[in-house]
Amino acid sequence: MSDPIPAVQARSLSKHYGEGNTYVLALKEATFQIHPGEVVALLGPSGSGKSTLLTILGLINPPDTGWLQVGGVEVIRDGAVVGDANLIRRRNLGFVFQRSNLIPFLTAEENVRLVLELDDVPRREAVRRAREILESLGVADRARHLPMQLSGGQQQRVAIARALIHEPSLLLADEPTASLDKELGRRVMELLRTAAIERGAAVLVVTHDHRALDLVDRIFEIEDGVLDTEGAKLRGATR
Amino acid sequence: MNLSLRDVRHDFSRFLLTAVGLGLLLTVVLAMTGIYNGIIKDATALPDSLGADLWIVQRDTRGPFAELSRVSSDLEERARAVPGVARARSYVSHTIQRQLPNGRPLRFTAVGLSWPDDLGGGLPIVRGRPLAQPHYECLVDSSLGLSLGQRIPLGRDVYTVVGITDGLLASGGDPSAFFTLSDAQRIQNDVSNEAIRLDREARSARVRQSALGRDPELVRFSGKNAQLIPALGPLPVSAVMLNIDPGVPLDTVQARLQGWQDITVYSQAEEHGLILGGVVEKTRLQIGLFRGLLVVISAILMGLIIYTMTVDKIHSIALLKLLGARMTVILGMILEEALLLGGIAYVLAVIIGNFAFDIFPRRVVIENEHRLALLGIVIAISIASSAIGMKKALAADPNEVLAA
Repeated sequence: MSDPIPAVQARSLSKHYGEGNTYVLALKEATFQIHPGEVVALLGPSGSGKSTLLTILGLINPPDTGWLQVGGVEVIRDGAVVGDANLIRRRNLGFVFQRSNLIPFLTAEENVRLVLELDDVPRREAVRRAREILESLGVADRARHLPMQLSGGQQQRVAIARALIHEPSLLLADEPTASLDKELGRRVMELLRTAAIERGAAVLVVTHDHRALDLVDRIFEIEDGVLDTEGAKLRGATR
Repeated sequence: MNLSLRDVRHDFSRFLLTAVGLGLLLTVVLAMTGIYNGIIKDATALPDSLGADLWIVQRDTRGPFAELSRVSSDLEERARAVPGVARARSYVSHTIQRQLPNGRPLRFTAVGLSWPDDLGGGLPIVRGRPLAQPHYECLVDSSLGLSLGQRIPLGRDVYTVVGITDGLLASGGDPSAFFTLSDAQRIQNDVSNEAIRLDREARSARVRQSALGRDPELVRFSGKNAQLIPALGPLPVSAVMLNIDPGVPLDTVQARLQGWQDITVYSQAEEHGLILGGVVEKTRLQIGLFRGLLVVISAILMGLIIYTMTVDKIHSIALLKLLGARMTVILGMILEEALLLGGIAYVLAVIIGNFAFDIFPRRVVIENEHRLALLGIVIAISIASSAIGMKKALAADPNEVLAA
């Protein structure tokens, strides 16, 4: 029986900033794969290259070199984005941030279904799916509230709903628990894990929070732009 | 999902207040247009209402509205004898400023009508009646604020208001008042008793010092009322108005009269041209420049407002980009908000104008075509100002969301 198709497959992704004396190699030949339903933590000190990897995977900044496939679709070849980056983001990628980053003038439900409507999903269908996912994340009763009327935990659940409603192949989470207390942070990580398994999305969580590492399947470590996909330093401490 | 409407809804009071401010600015633009139109209408209302086909004025002058004109009063009789002339009327006008017994200043243009040929029946009288007596009656424009039956002391006489006209202002914006020709001349030439005595003494002295002084009868006459001295002739008038027989070409009569060496003849259309090209021209240019300046100011303000509104939601725009929104969605949101802001401001300007312009001291004339023109300007300003916001939105970096 052959292995399932990886949700994300990256080969030799490299990125540098600056020239001459200011030259910094932020990411060196990063090669990895993440499978559907798998939750991976990306750990590393400030300036180690976490954000660089995240922006490359989010198709915000292209790498200098390398190849990337998301959901079985080639999105980066020889360091260049293949096709419409906006379309790929709309359909294949989901984002969760440290702050919820909800659009302040949209209600919780509108924030969630916006992702579908941006991709021309009919309004009725978008509303149905938004209510369904808000229900599953326990914030259906706050659907008509604006973000400022929600607690921090509720906002983060709505953000997770927005990141998952279009069933992306890869969910990128940047410090999703940093602004939450321990209990709520753990709850959010559980939600991410459950949602990833149920919806078959690969999740890459950038985090400094070691308390929830028992909820991830694998740990990637990055330092000075070098990615260690074995997570050797922490594996023993968390498992 | 309409993002612009939701953004506006989010802080509607601020948006509405901004629209009200812009609306007031557009009201001034509309007022400038209306005042300009009013000046043109006022300037031409009087000659139009008098209904003349041709105007005979002093030779080489552009009277009687654009320039002072004085022609002999017997010109009326000479013109009447010309073939094709159906009607000839003398016309005098002069602006006076007096004070009513209650202290209220009264400024108007006194117009003399040929009695009994012209009683003012052709004027737009909204209350009262035309002139019915050769003296001491007048018709006044409603903007003068006088009432029917009110008595106005002017010079040595008291005149009764027997009719009220509407919308008859002189080119300077002063209301018109209509008298019989002789009354208008009497008001115009009213001087004090002492001035009359001094004038008669001076005249007698001039006669005595000349060869005429040898005739005692002439010396005696020279000290009497000027109107009783045949050699001095009657008072001049400003112009003579002619109406042409139906079927007679205007050009033919005008060409014939142009042959007279003491006068110049203008058609009604030519009088219009003289008024609009001379009397109103500078005012028109000034108001036009002012209006243009206001449009530019409105555009700059609206650009700044749209820019600020875009900056306020730049994080949301960056997020939309990160979520994969097409640029048309983001730019459309900015354009729609600019058009909505301009649209509300425009509607407010039209509504405020409908109520406010009636209390302006000068006439403000706004027609549908002017409202449509302003709408076009507002749409153009909205699109231009949204371009500033669009430029800012295009520069929004999705990285800002990750960095936040």
